[in-house]
Amino acid sequence: MDDVAILESIRRQTVAVVPEIDPAEITPDRSLADLGCNSVDRADIVTAVMEELAIEVPLSEFRQGAPVGELVELLRTHA
Amino acid sequence: MTDRLTGIESLNVYGGVACVPVAELFAGRGLDTGRFGNLMMARRAVALPFEDPVTNAVNAAAPLLERLGEEERDSVEFLITATESGVDYSKSVASYVHEHLGLGRHCRLLEVKQACYSATAALRLAASYVASDVSPGARALVIATDVALADERAEYAEPATGSGAVAMLVGDDPRVLALDPGAFGLYSFETLDTARPSPAYDIADVDRSLLAYLECLRESFADYRARVEDVDLMTTFDLLALHTPFAGMVKAGHRKLLREFTAATPAEIEADFERRVGPSLTYPGEVGNLFSGSLYLALAAALDTARPAAPLRVGLFSYGSGCSSEFFSGVADQRSAEEVAAMDIAGRLSARAELTFAEYLEVLPENMRCLVPERDRKVDVAAYEHLLDRCADRRPMLALRAVEDHHRRYEWI
Repeated sequence: MDDVAILESIRRQTVAVVPEIDPAEITPDRSLADLGCNSVDRADIVTAVMEELAIEVPLSEFRQGAPVGELVELLRTHA
Repeated sequence: MTDRLTGIESLNVYGGVACVPVAELFAGRGLDTGRFGNLMMARRAVALPFEDPVTNAVNAAAPLLERLGEEERDSVEFLITATESGVDYSKSVASYVHEHLGLGRHCRLLEVKQACYSATAALRLAASYVASDVSPGARALVIATDVALADERAEYAEPATGSGAVAMLVGDDPRVLALDPGAFGLYSFETLDTARPSPAYDIADVDRSLLAYLECLRESFADYRARVEDVDLMTTFDLLALHTPFAGMVKAGHRKLLREFTAATPAEIEADFERRVGPSLTYPGEVGNLFSGSLYLALAAALDTARPAAPLRVGLFSYGSGCSSEFFSGVADQRSAEEVAAMDIAGRLSARAELTFAEYLEVLPENMRCLVPERDRKVDVAAYEHLLDRCADRRPMLALRAVEDHHRRYEWI
């Protein structure tokens, strides 16, 4: 799975959880927290992306404050 | 182990003698009020500097023991304190608690630790001991007790973290909750999500912790379903009580569970949350996260708010960072409502002294050193009398007055 497809999924699920966020602002250098997602939003987004892409990432590999680019990489590694 | 019913005979919450409105804390710290709704909290318990894990435990358990006759008190032959706020590497909190509760000397003392899961492990141990019948008529006293080590560094965890204790008398007349024999699901694995690496501070990776909680909820429920016949998440449980670090986390957990195990629509999930989980959130919204007492604070709230008039089944989820978790269940009935109501938990929470943000800041540095070992220390209990005077109809309470050559000294005030 390529990074573009993963980033698109993150954008889709982020906007589904927090509709106020402009998808264009969801770039690899920003973190979901920077974009205004609280901890529950972030958990919802990450689990929804894993469901959509059918990827299981061991949860202990996620860390607080990770930029979107790191999430993409983590998901790609486990795809 | 037999299939005899065992469980919680009586339960009491100690949610402090002081509290601070969460809105004041948000304003004082300049936190984003947009996130206020995620906590669903009105107030949080604040310890006064003469309170510690020992006093919290004693102040939670004393009202339970006062209701017992001498013979029943002597039947308590197992005292377990569950805490991540130990005051010594060797000597247990239970040893002090045993003394100040005046329990008989023919009693086992133990302190257990597994973050916020430990009280559930202690309850399991106690109930299994009672059910084993090696000592017919024996009871156990399980007390989950902790203190907050959260200041401005903890950001949104500061308003969410409470201080206090929940005491549960465990025996074979489970008036509050009869544990369903053999009905449990487990899920544990190593991770570092939140921890207390020092007696002076906590660390937390909020994202990892939330994701671990959600994974444990799903997997422990799946394990429960595999062990217990004919389980339907929507109909088997009339009430749900989950470990409640903050209500938003519980809501996320409930939503995830229903999305994975039922065909409920988003509107149905929301309505189900209000109906089956909502009652458990009232006291957590007044106290904050009570660590391993959190689940039992939620249980007390569920029973006191829903007030069962007939037998009903409660589903419970216990999670402790690090991490270990359990989904289990029990039956409550009209006696449960009466037993919990007798403790007047809501009344005592509303009688607490309400602190301003400035008063909260004054006691915070003292509270942050609560667990830091010191050979000698004096605590000026009288300095806080003006705050205690604000409590309506205050019960006598245990207070830490000094540490003398490492020995903690207490007095009733």
